[in-house]
Amino acid sequence: MQRKIDTILEYLKNHDVDYADIRVTDMLEEEISTENQTVMKLSTERSVGYGIRVFLNGALGFASSQNFENMERIADKAIELARASALTLKEPVKLSQKEVVVDNYSSAYKIDPFEVSKSEKLDLLFAAEEAMRANATLVKTTGFLRFSKEQKTFADTEGSFIRQTIIISGGGIQAAAANKTDMQIRSYPNSARGNYHTAGYEYIKELDFVKHAKDIDKEAELLVNAEECPSGHFDLVIDGTQLFLQIHESIGHPTELDRVLGYEAGYAGTSFLNPDMIDKFTYGSEHINVVADATASKGLGTYGYDDEGVKAQKVHLITKGIFKGFTSSRDTAPKINQESNGTARASGWNRIPIVRMTNINLLPGDYTLEQLIQDVNDGLLLSTNKSWSIDDKRLNFQFSTEIAYEIKNGALTGKIYKNPIYSGITPEFWRSCDGVANKDHYVMYGTPNCGKGEPGQVMHVGHGCSPARFRQVKVGVNNVLSN
Amino acid sequence: MFSRTDYYNIINYILKRTRDYDAEVLISGSVEGLTRFANSEIHQNVYENINTINIKLLKDNKKSELVTTDYSEKGLDAAIKEAIQNLEYAPSGDYPRMVKHPILTEMCSQNSELVKACTPENRALQLKESFALLPSNYQAYGIYSLTSMRLAYGNNNGVKRFLKNYYAKVNVLVSDGNDGTSYYSTLTQNSKGFSLVDIFKHVINRASINNDRKIIEPGEYTVILEPAAVASILMYLSFAGFNAKSVQDNYSFLSGKVGEKVFDERITIVDDWHNKNTMPLPFDLEGFERKKLNLIVNGVAHDLAYDALTAKKDEKKSTGHSVAMPDRGGIPLNLVMEGGIRPLEDIIKDSDNAILVTRFHYMNLVNPRLAQLTALTRDGLFQIENGEITHALENMRFTESILDAFNDVVEISSDRKKIPTFLGNYYVPAMKIRNFKFTGKTK
Repeated sequence: MQRKIDTILEYLKNHDVDYADIRVTDMLEEEISTENQTVMKLSTERSVGYGIRVFLNGALGFASSQNFENMERIADKAIELARASALTLKEPVKLSQKEVVVDNYSSAYKIDPFEVSKSEKLDLLFAAEEAMRANATLVKTTGFLRFSKEQKTFADTEGSFIRQTIIISGGGIQAAAANKTDMQIRSYPNSARGNYHTAGYEYIKELDFVKHAKDIDKEAELLVNAEECPSGHFDLVIDGTQLFLQIHESIGHPTELDRVLGYEAGYAGTSFLNPDMIDKFTYGSEHINVVADATASKGLGTYGYDDEGVKAQKVHLITKGIFKGFTSSRDTAPKINQESNGTARASGWNRIPIVRMTNINLLPGDYTLEQLIQDVNDGLLLSTNKSWSIDDKRLNFQFSTEIAYEIKNGALTGKIYKNPIYSGITPEFWRSCDGVANKDHYVMYGTPNCGKGEPGQVMHVGHGCSPARFRQVKVGVNNVLSN
Repeated sequence: MFSRTDYYNIINYILKRTRDYDAEVLISGSVEGLTRFANSEIHQNVYENINTINIKLLKDNKKSELVTTDYSEKGLDAAIKEAIQNLEYAPSGDYPRMVKHPILTEMCSQNSELVKACTPENRALQLKESFALLPSNYQAYGIYSLTSMRLAYGNNNGVKRFLKNYYAKVNVLVSDGNDGTSYYSTLTQNSKGFSLVDIFKHVINRASINNDRKIIEPGEYTVILEPAAVASILMYLSFAGFNAKSVQDNYSFLSGKVGEKVFDERITIVDDWHNKNTMPLPFDLEGFERKKLNLIVNGVAHDLAYDALTAKKDEKKSTGHSVAMPDRGGIPLNLVMEGGIRPLEDIIKDSDNAILVTRFHYMNLVNPRLAQLTALTRDGLFQIENGEITHALENMRFTESILDAFNDVVEISSDRKKIPTFLGNYYVPAMKIRNFKFTGKTK
């Protein structure tokens, strides 16, 4: 393969490209899911191919294929596309500088998940479902495991040659209860998506589905007959299984520089941020410190080098509430006189790298969870994301969670509510934060399915966070509902 | 680029080596060139050629599945071997049988004129011509793509399926530089009558009235939802309501209500791939023929979409709506909603006080049992007074039960539009609805 790569890069240089790179990816994925103690999916997927990216006279073209026999034809296609792009070019694309790197990287793992038998994995899911059903009356129980092993090679006309292997493991369980008019769910470890780490099968053992089944089974049953969550303005303690997505939607996305520059305007939208706000804009309270950290342990957005060959790094997005900067790529960073901070990622060999979240982490604060709750007179503890929606500038958001626990006079009362919804405007919400729990409560969450780009790309990104408290947040919509 | 013969050769190679099993092979192929533009220039220009082979084996009530992109003999042999090995670990289950009839279904469209019109160079030249129409300070964003989609299926019952389609897709968003935006999306299989310049003119015109936006307060309003907005709502109803899996799981707003009147009697929604305003999809990803579904007829819930597994559970036949996601079941992809009596233009002229909604953004389910959805408006929200658009409005969030909204219908337009969505290509009218709940502001 190295010979083929060297040959094609030489071919591209001989066609006078400004710059070109090639990514060869071999992706192996396994998905196992059960539902009501029946196997729903037991599949292995392997995808191998390459993508060639070309900048020619400042214009971009990208072509990909799974056929390694005639790579020159794909290189020609990329050049043809770059020439077509040039027909509308206003200003040649500049790429920020990067180091020439020859290196290998492997994500850390202890147990290769692809060496664990499928029967062991199925036994685990069946046992978890049995544990949930033993304790509650449920209409549906589900369990799922997903694993991936991505082996990719990046090489470019500047001389970089980087091999990376990244293993991801994760999954989840869910309990659903229903009556004639309602259905409610509870999920572990993190919403219907499950939770994932760059780790091996040891993470699945750590999750211990069977032990945690009791955390969710009875609650699903109780929720069906619980009261609807009241509407009003409440103090909220939001735990990590919801907060991770709040971070994702209202910090991770608006700080992507390509959104700011309009590159996503025709699809996912833009951002309320602009470069003039750096070091000036109060994004949140002093308790809010957020980093984009591609080096964080076990994060879904952890790697050695991004898909432009730029080394993984930690980028400060918000420090003590003040907005500090964006995530960027080699073509976007020069627009604000910066260098790429290594967040260009492609979802596969057939997709172009674009600015993506890495691990967007809210750094831990000083409180225990108990202390956060103790200072709430009339509020709610919200857990586990269920629904999410935010506007195209990333300002007006609305989330719902699986459950709300009542807090009165500094303590959980034991009462639960169903269908909690909360909404707000991004900077107002983050400014209302007056406490973040400490590192004892810090968990690396993530989402395996962040969608962006055209053609669409689905990316796995991490979000480390501890629970946090927010004051006087709008809950519910009943003030404008006629029933 | 693979021909039909190439696809059948791969399928036959696999089936020959899996004769002892109930084996089925699905190959999904796509050749796509997509030109993406932002700030009125092409900023991404991509091409992909991909074929994904899905092998399913069933024996002694055990099932395994393997997917590969390696179609070399060595790659296929490795895939077959692993698929067989996986059966060892699979527990027994009650799986549906493979499709048996009809033996052959093929639909092949050649569209050399469309292909010629949409080469990378021609796409760029058409965009250049369209960008030149933009007034100063206006910018354009979007995509212009040409896709050749292929599906090939075969199983050890001797069944074969093949589909090849070409289509061009355009999404255009125009901004006046001051958040005044407008948007249009279309998909065509015919280069005749397709004009990127005309699309740009329409979008520029609409963006030019989306300025000096006023703010309104949350509350209940009479709205006129343009077809793109209606299509978004129907998309969520399709996978969280019209599919049998969501009813079986007690998740659907139709749970316990099939056969009952759930919407206004003027609402009729079918799933019909024969309608030329949707995309021809004669079979599903399990090889079953796609049946027409009368989902809602005069407001009454009738048919549900089934794949083979959900059909077996309800002791019915598959309706041919598998999307190869067993946790989702069958999903209708060709929704067609009946039109009303008067065109949208007349409905607007006849409105004393209403809000015109161009489209929605980031829609999501809040409570599926109530068909409660939320989303933001986007790219044009306009106040109508005494039959005319008087001014633009800042975007709003709605949170609404569609069971309520579709029972509060004032009127449905006679004219309909083809709307491409994430889950299929629909043909839908506009709808005027009273008491629609806007629950949040964006400014």
